[in-house]
Amino acid sequence: MPTAEMTTEPELQEIACQSCGAALTGLSGMLATICPYCASPSVIQRPPSKNRPTPTFAIGFVVDQERATQLVKQWIGRAHWFARSDFKRAAPDCTRGVYLPAYLYGAVADTQYSASIGENYTETETYTTTDSKGKRVTRTRTVTKTEWRNLEGQHSCYVLDVIVTASKGTDNDSLEAIEPFDLRALRRYSPSIITGWLAELPSKDQATCFQLAHGETIAKVGSQLKHFMPGDSHQNLEHRTQLSREVIDLVLLPIWCFAVRYDENQPPVQILVNGQTGRVAGSVPTSTTKIALVVGAVLLFIAAIVLLSAMQ
Amino acid sequence: MPEIISVCSRCDTPLEHGDLRCSICGQSSPPNETTKQQVAAKILRCKGCGAAVAFDPEHQAPRCSFCDGIVEIETIVDPMEQTEAYLPFMLTPDDAQRALRQWLGSLGWFRPSDLTSASHVDDLHPLYWVAWVFDTECKISWAADSNANSRRSSWAPHSGQTDVVFQNILVSASRGLSQAEAVAVSQRLDLRTARATPNLEDGVTREQFDVQRSQARRQVRDALRLMAKKHVEGTQIPGSSFRNVHVETVVKGLTTRRLSLPAYVMAYRYHDQLYRVVISGQNSQDLTGTAPYSTAKIVLTICGAVALALLFLMVIAAAQ
Repeated sequence: MPTAEMTTEPELQEIACQSCGAALTGLSGMLATICPYCASPSVIQRPPSKNRPTPTFAIGFVVDQERATQLVKQWIGRAHWFARSDFKRAAPDCTRGVYLPAYLYGAVADTQYSASIGENYTETETYTTTDSKGKRVTRTRTVTKTEWRNLEGQHSCYVLDVIVTASKGTDNDSLEAIEPFDLRALRRYSPSIITGWLAELPSKDQATCFQLAHGETIAKVGSQLKHFMPGDSHQNLEHRTQLSREVIDLVLLPIWCFAVRYDENQPPVQILVNGQTGRVAGSVPTSTTKIALVVGAVLLFIAAIVLLSAMQ
Repeated sequence: MPEIISVCSRCDTPLEHGDLRCSICGQSSPPNETTKQQVAAKILRCKGCGAAVAFDPEHQAPRCSFCDGIVEIETIVDPMEQTEAYLPFMLTPDDAQRALRQWLGSLGWFRPSDLTSASHVDDLHPLYWVAWVFDTECKISWAADSNANSRRSSWAPHSGQTDVVFQNILVSASRGLSQAEAVAVSQRLDLRTARATPNLEDGVTREQFDVQRSQARRQVRDALRLMAKKHVEGTQIPGSSFRNVHVETVVKGLTTRRLSLPAYVMAYRYHDQLYRVVISGQNSQDLTGTAPYSTAKIVLTICGAVALALLFLMVIAAAQ
């Protein structure tokens, strides 16, 4: 039970700022924070626990706030035609630049697969047809046919660099939308890389993250297998994958969070910016009025064509 | 010198200085020092002036905003590749010239008759060319179409898995030698003779690796994949012809050495034309190069063959 597990971990509620002595609150999910009174950056050090291991790696911010805001504005400007107009006009609010906890997962995947492999061959067949003079004639043509053969086999590979979120605030799909991160810029975690920024602690338990990672890994193997199959085509590809020799490391990823409030009555839209590459992603609210208008116009157009053809 | 700090606990591949993760399996390397963990809020202070430091995107490092001091953090380093060892030259330049003459004389009837006597060596210089040599254990999974077991179609699908040990596989990093030349002059090199310093200094062109470690590893991995494919094609796939060969590898204990290898590059002139020959610095049998053909002899042979065929036809015609 996750709730029982949480209580066993010493929870930190309040700590004094080392610089001005003010009480820093709201620390329960944070690894690094900034004192609201004197703007001193603090890094909170806790003993590692099962669900909150010490980060192994971190990727430093490359995109600063100014650039991130600019990228978000451009992104909103490029939003598709059906986007709400008030959304396109809205100014993005930068909530914060935050180090998001994620797990970097790798494993050896041993897969048992079976598939029907299509091997093409050509055959010459005779057929009858009518020629230009209206006579029935017999002719031959070559046709390509497919012979289906069963194939079973084993496939072993390393799967590396699967990234899954460890934060409850950002789901895996949102994180995937701003991936990839350039892992060559990976640095060994040290408090000095996150100082002066906000950094979240992992809020998802490791078992859930493992499951997410397994799912992604097996999907990755599945798409690799498609290219692995011989023959001219294949169908009914099934695979059972076993993962072994797993490695999982906690990594902190740099992310800019933006909120766009375009309507008083709607919740703000969350937009994420990859703090390393500047890739922007978020869901654009669509305008029902615009869609209704377009559908109406298309219907009118069709009706006009039908009418025109009926009149002829 | 190799900067191997430890071996990956998961796949036995050596970790080199500056690797945060294993290049093969992604396992994180052990940290340099372990830091004590205790519950505390900590302000990191600048060692120069004592002000609080913050990570700065522009400098990619924690920076003090007062005195501009920068704190170092451990990152993946990607140095240029450096030669670890040299194989000694065992042939002298004279040996190389002699080998060239011998080779010119052994090329066969279609070459000009005066090839050996009329060609003279224009240029001969010793060269240390660079290459990676790797050893690894490897589990190969493969799938392919072959003609074995085929029914209506001429192809049938096959698959399999095999464990192989690759030893002393050479991957050329040379800019001066072509791939084919590198293969030809490395056949009989004795890797046990490797030593820390070159035995020939004067007039030797010493090639440098001009790629970084990450790129080098990619090249080695590509070569390994190619080897795996060749191995599967040569020993695993049943039947006599195949297509759509796919391989996947799980590598264990990939050890790479960076070597400088000896060779002589020669240019000889025959009737104002220059030809290039490369010979191994250790064995005169490993020699590759270009040589002229004799047009007169080839034309003569073709004419002779045509005349013979005509004669044959005439004989048949006369006999009927």
